[in-house]
Amino acid sequence: MSTPKADAIERIVEAFEMASALPEDMDLESPEMKALIEMMPESRRNTFLAMAKDPDVRKMSAVFNRCLGIYWRKLLSAKDEGKKVVFVPFNFAPEIFHALDMIPVCVEVLTTMALTLEEGIEPYLDLSVERGLPDTMCSAQRAVIGLFETGLLEKPDLLVNGALGSCDPNSKAFEYMAEKFNIPVLYLDIPFYHDKRALDYYAKGYKNIVKAIQEMTGAKLDVDRLREVVENTNRASELFFEINELKRNVPNPVPNYYNMHHTGMKLTMVGTPDAVEYYQTALDVSKDRFKRGKSVLPEERIRLLFLYTGYYFDNSIYSWFQEEMGVSYVMDVLTAFDFNPLIDTSSVDSMLYGLAEEMLNLPMTRQLKGGWDMPDNWLSDMLYYARTYKADCGVFTGHTACKQAWGVYRLVADELKRQLGIPSLRLEGDGWDSRITPMSVIKDQFEEFFATLL
Amino acid sequence: MSALETLAEVSATRLNSFVSKWKSQGKKVVGYVCTYLPEEILYAADILPYRITGKGAADTSLADSYLTRVNCTFSRCCLELAFSGQYDFLDGATFVNGCDHIRRAFDNWRSHQKALPFMYILPVPHLLSPEALVWYKEEVVKFKEAIEGHFGTTVDPQKLKEAVSTYNESRKLLRRLYDLQAGTEPPLKGSEVITVLSAGTAMPKGEFNTLLRKLLEEAGTRKRVPDKKTRLLVAGSVLDDAEFIENVEGLGALVVTDALCFGTRSFWDLTDETGDAFDALVNRYFNHVPCPRMAGEYPRRMAFLKEQAARAHVDGAILEHIKFCDLHGTDNALLKRDLEKAGIATLELERQYGPLADAGRLRTRIQAFLERIRR
Repeated sequence: MSTPKADAIERIVEAFEMASALPEDMDLESPEMKALIEMMPESRRNTFLAMAKDPDVRKMSAVFNRCLGIYWRKLLSAKDEGKKVVFVPFNFAPEIFHALDMIPVCVEVLTTMALTLEEGIEPYLDLSVERGLPDTMCSAQRAVIGLFETGLLEKPDLLVNGALGSCDPNSKAFEYMAEKFNIPVLYLDIPFYHDKRALDYYAKGYKNIVKAIQEMTGAKLDVDRLREVVENTNRASELFFEINELKRNVPNPVPNYYNMHHTGMKLTMVGTPDAVEYYQTALDVSKDRFKRGKSVLPEERIRLLFLYTGYYFDNSIYSWFQEEMGVSYVMDVLTAFDFNPLIDTSSVDSMLYGLAEEMLNLPMTRQLKGGWDMPDNWLSDMLYYARTYKADCGVFTGHTACKQAWGVYRLVADELKRQLGIPSLRLEGDGWDSRITPMSVIKDQFEEFFATLL
Repeated sequence: MSALETLAEVSATRLNSFVSKWKSQGKKVVGYVCTYLPEEILYAADILPYRITGKGAADTSLADSYLTRVNCTFSRCCLELAFSGQYDFLDGATFVNGCDHIRRAFDNWRSHQKALPFMYILPVPHLLSPEALVWYKEEVVKFKEAIEGHFGTTVDPQKLKEAVSTYNESRKLLRRLYDLQAGTEPPLKGSEVITVLSAGTAMPKGEFNTLLRKLLEEAGTRKRVPDKKTRLLVAGSVLDDAEFIENVEGLGALVVTDALCFGTRSFWDLTDETGDAFDALVNRYFNHVPCPRMAGEYPRRMAFLKEQAARAHVDGAILEHIKFCDLHGTDNALLKRDLEKAGIATLELERQYGPLADAGRLRTRIQAFLERIRR
């Protein structure tokens, strides 16, 4: 592939700053806006419109984009400011790095952000395979590996992986990055069970990691700074719990696109005041919509539970659900934080234990580490979320790399049907690679499925 | 009948004569799938450990309605045999959370009407740390108690010591066989060695050892395989298929060693017989040549491969992985880079397990590789 491009992070920052600079009262129908939108690559255009069409979503998106723009910009100046950068997967909470004054980058979020690059992520997905990685590995990490290969993405100072036991491709991708690009790496093992013994084991491993990070980077954990971060986390949790309460209403007033923001925030910025600001805005918007009786259009016909992840390569699907299909997207595994603990801030020990508990309940770690029908695992969570948020149906998006989910999807779907009478749709596609199943085909399949429900 | 013929028969027959004899004595047979399961515990309880594989599955139509096309063909073939009643002779099955595919095969089997009376999963950590060793030991204790509870038996410490000794004997004999294979003009073809290894997982170890000793005696009188063949190492995903090796060897190569979980990775390390047998067993299984599931252990796997390659004087290595096996597929990409750097010609091969095996394509690729490296 030709690689005349500029640094990937610089271009991501540019996209977010541009998006957040747009006025809240912009007229999408004005000739200037139309021309601007026309210039965007398709996936970026669809995502932009998903965030901008609805004024309520736009309000939330403005805060989200501004905060994320600032966050990514920090990454650009990290080296000059002597800050260490660490890459983590989606199941390693970012708070500890905020407390250590390091910059955590969630690889899956970075891949999602890289979708805004004008060339897309496909060339990087392909390059990672050309250079040796199996094409059955997860696109969420392959894009970052491809970016490393081109040199358009600077290597981090450290890799920390916490996916051992819940996702083989994820943990292998980190080992590959470490070996191939010579980056120091730390691993956190996930126990098979979800009980006190498992949490103690996991928390011990987590504390070892925190110690090792300090030894490797020279960073020092300050109790007051850690408390500040954890208090921000607790505040953010209280806010998104309130948002979840609103989601239980029929019709659901929370905009569909909140789910995308929520995942992005929780995996990168939770622990910062910016995340609190975002969740406060999202709550205010949702409360206001509740008061106004506003939900999806033309009316809420279907409450949809994604049994696993959503789609990230083209977010138009969420505004399509909201603006045209009357489908309320109540929950997916990556937004399922109802079991997130409020952390005891009385000591360093209690905070680290609390952060470990938070991580053991992170998406996928919680649901995919053990047997499908064990307590606090995939089936029990899906039954809980379907009941709590009054879902009418389930959809498994069938992300290609998730062999551990594919392997028991049928068992979970059969039980949902048997216990709650909820039908499920199984799709095949890739969360980040549009070439596996294009969005137009995905929408057709959704439409057919919805027709059987109405 | 020669020892090799007897072992070949055992390898080719799921419910072989040794298993039938064992069962006719009223004794139990428990299946297992992974090298992280301390078999000696079963053996000491007078239960026959029997390695579950997918060998002989004619198709995967039953399994495919639960596991899907993105799940590897090994796990699907195993499940197919289970669902179609081919493993009904087992009294139980013990899995390990070895990889995403096989643990889901277990989930599906356990939830199916064909579930065996005893279905157990032994969770093994993915990290070699002191805390993980403690966790693993606790799990092995739980496993032992589950066996004792379900089968109404006890694992006597003296019998465990004897089992450790019997298993070590087996490993030592296999190392002797591999030493012979490492020399010039090895006595067996690689496909025959795989057959021996496969048989060893499907019969009592004591009787296997007797046959192995006989095989080693017979090896001295066998017509040797000529040295002009290209000597290869095979490593990668689970492989118990003699036909695959036969195909490779049919093209003018000789597989003289491996780094497979049916091969050296399962028997290279011995259990310490000087101290407490249970602790020694836990240590041995936890720390044996690591599978790619063990994070951060790539350098050790690489060193083991290099050691095997040097010991057996190979001309090249085939790194195979079953499609969708991300653990081996990813490791193989790194191993290829590092083996080639070390001057060992390497072929990376994606394949299918079992009835879907695409022999023609594989043959073409192997042939091209052999032409590149032929002495």
